[in-house]
Amino acid sequence: MTKHILIVGGGIGGTMTANSIVAKLYPEILRGQVKVTLLSDSPWHYYKPAFMYVAFDMFFEGELRRKQRSLLRPEIEFSVDKVQNFDFAGSTVKTASGKTIGYDYIVVSTGCLPAPERIPGLKEAGDYFYQYAPARQLAEKLRNFEKGRIFITVNFPKTPNVPHQCGIAPMETTLMVDEYLRRKGVRDQCEIVYTYPTVSQLLRNCLFLQKEVCDVLPPVFESKDIKYQRSFTLASVDAEKKIAVSEEGNEENFDLLMCTPPIRAVDAVLESGISQAPNNEGWLPTDRKTLQLEGYPNAYVMGDTVDLPISKAGGSCHNQCPVIANNIAGDMRLGRTVDEYDGKVQAVAQMGLEAGMPLWYDYDEDVHPTPPTKVGGLLRKAFNRGIYWSVARGII
Amino acid sequence: MSETVMDMPEAPNAKRLAILDEATEQGVMDLLEKIAPLLQGRRFDNIVDLASLASDGVDMFDDAMVQKLMKAYEEAVGAAWAVGNAARFAAAQTASSPVPSLFGILRLAGDEDVRRGLHFALTFLSVLGRQMKDDGVE
Repeated sequence: MTKHILIVGGGIGGTMTANSIVAKLYPEILRGQVKVTLLSDSPWHYYKPAFMYVAFDMFFEGELRRKQRSLLRPEIEFSVDKVQNFDFAGSTVKTASGKTIGYDYIVVSTGCLPAPERIPGLKEAGDYFYQYAPARQLAEKLRNFEKGRIFITVNFPKTPNVPHQCGIAPMETTLMVDEYLRRKGVRDQCEIVYTYPTVSQLLRNCLFLQKEVCDVLPPVFESKDIKYQRSFTLASVDAEKKIAVSEEGNEENFDLLMCTPPIRAVDAVLESGISQAPNNEGWLPTDRKTLQLEGYPNAYVMGDTVDLPISKAGGSCHNQCPVIANNIAGDMRLGRTVDEYDGKVQAVAQMGLEAGMPLWYDYDEDVHPTPPTKVGGLLRKAFNRGIYWSVARGII
Repeated sequence: MSETVMDMPEAPNAKRLAILDEATEQGVMDLLEKIAPLLQGRRFDNIVDLASLASDGVDMFDDAMVQKLMKAYEEAVGAAWAVGNAARFAAAQTASSPVPSLFGILRLAGDEDVRRGLHFALTFLSVLGRQMKDDGVE
């Protein structure tokens, strides 16, 4: 009987995992014993980290997306259909087109959504760069920004030890804003204030979610005249008066509020009832080693949807993907999982508009920051413009 | 990583000079030991020349050049990947089915995917032919 592997989500996690599963299980696919399907709610695949560049007029929409099908091996059945309901116990999903699809294995890689509406006033007054339209809006505001106060806030999920989307992004964009305003020649008339909440994963009173990076940030910011403030956990925003209010009782005025907003899982995951995360955030309980959904051994979770303490970023998916492909192959061929995820995440941080800093970390070891370089910046640019698509295809 | 929240006192930003660090000193000594034969034989000069060449290359690279090179890279890799995939997929399909008759081949053209592929192949040939025109060159 043909085993059906269903991958839900056409982001980087789902795409590279579908391709990797086909490569891993090619003999079974040739014999007709395995069928692989990918469901996505869009015919386009977006390179999400490039939205950050959109905010600085460095990327056009056409440059940061490709047709999803062009990134998939032909052995994969691809359908543009949105999953509306997960039935993990019954091993089926229901889709927006009215289909009920059964599976033997499922990989949930549905990402997360910015939820600025979860902080009063933030949706009206805040700007962010995690989706295309908000990033375009921010680009227009930055283009016209001549003087005033740019206030930066970072909002973590309420689920303990779960990070916000792309851990390094707030720092990256703070440095990018600084350089962008310098290039425009208006930096002297602008104040940039970077803030961080009281609790960031396992650290308190910090400027980053890992200690070693936190330690090197103050001199970096001081050298660029960027103000920084610890313990500012955004509670609400007065959109009319342009005041950000913190849970710690501080009030700060702003002309531009650039935020990393709260996030949540997509509706179908929220409504599956499987998540134990507080605040209806929806992170799925994931085995930190095998990446199986707890209690459902034929379901795997990856990327932003997990409840693990690692970055919600493509660099995590890149290392989770082979573990999931190996474990599904192991289960099919040997009746057990064979691989374990060590929490590894790698990336090249964009440090300002030109420089870059390659980095990696895992469950046991934090990022060891190194000086940003032009070569690192070129590597990041090369990744943005070309290498990413090879990663999505499962070539790299 | 422990599971308890750790307090981070606002530490003074004392920046230690790397040169005063014992580990740095030991590292430099080890490195010197390693490259000593190259230095003594004047062969280290070649490494410096190579590094200098690489450095020139880095200086010459800019955003526009990265964009152009990466576009070429992606187009080449994407095309090779798509053709390789199609060849592998077609080889697997044809290996498991009997060779069709002449009418069977024509019947295949009833399939929309086959017609899309044929359309692409014919258009590809037409573009190739257009590029091959001599435009009156003697």
